[in-house]
Amino acid sequence: MSRFDPKVLGGLLLAGVLTVAVAPALAGPEDALMPIEKYTTAKAKSLASVHRARLLQFSEEIYNCMPWLSVYPGRLGFPKDLDSKGGDDRYLSTWIFIDQREDPAFAALPQDRQVSAMFSRYGVDMLRRMAALPEIVEDGNVAGLSVVLSWPKPGTFGPGKQAINETFALFVDKATLSDFLAKAIPAREFTARSRFKLFDGEQLVGRVPLEVWEDSFNSTYKVANYEPPKGVQCQ
Amino acid sequence: MRAWVSVAAFFGGVMLLTGACATSEQWAEWRSHTTHFASGTHGMFSLRNNNDGSNPKVSRTDIEAARQENWWGKAITVSPEQIFQN
Repeated sequence: MSRFDPKVLGGLLLAGVLTVAVAPALAGPEDALMPIEKYTTAKAKSLASVHRARLLQFSEEIYNCMPWLSVYPGRLGFPKDLDSKGGDDRYLSTWIFIDQREDPAFAALPQDRQVSAMFSRYGVDMLRRMAALPEIVEDGNVAGLSVVLSWPKPGTFGPGKQAINETFALFVDKATLSDFLAKAIPAREFTARSRFKLFDGEQLVGRVPLEVWEDSFNSTYKVANYEPPKGVQCQ
Repeated sequence: MRAWVSVAAFFGGVMLLTGACATSEQWAEWRSHTTHFASGTHGMFSLRNNNDGSNPKVSRTDIEAARQENWWGKAITVSPEQIFQN
């Protein structure tokens, strides 16, 4: 008698194939990092190589401790602002998707107020977390920091609807961010010195009025019964 | 004429204030919510919790799975090339 019954073996193989086919494609912390080969300049490749370990650690922190957020695959790294003039100014940048449910109160806010709310809630905290990576931020080849936020456009997610994400991208130099986080300059000066723009799906909306206020949600929110992997300390 | 302008200004002011208040209320309502997280409010968690009453732990994998179930097709999103240069 054969050691493996052909029927049993066939069943196992079929189960394996189905598992692979059905299981959702999950992106891990490493997938968030922009692959070094995708950078187009030696300066950017060097930054990505030198700081890879710390960036991965940062990505793991987001993945394990803030499950309501996910990093756009390959968009944690050192890109250049498309609108920058000349030079090769590199920004420590994170693009996050915010898993926000439909909310009538949020939907009723004017667009610039929605943007202000999302940036105040998630953008400032992400910039603060990135600014707390001194070995990266103090690197002379890093010109500034950037955060990109995408969230479901109200009323577009649901059966029979075309889902649309709104996306807000901001770039700021290191000195301005440092002063803002230290409360040495007011929020209006921070916004005046920053470059930012909004997209509605793929359409550029442009620079919108941006207000920034205190919001501790992202640093205090806890998902009920959520448990990070063993050995992970979330702050 | 002056009286008409005053009345118009009064009603204009009332409308402006009413609008501002409504926005403030909407904002306050959104801000006071602590359950904006879509996947975190997914039925899977409550079902699991209620069935055996033991509040089992939720992992990131559970959340990703809930996200897949909530997936409404590919969302139109700006491409990275519209924001960055690599």
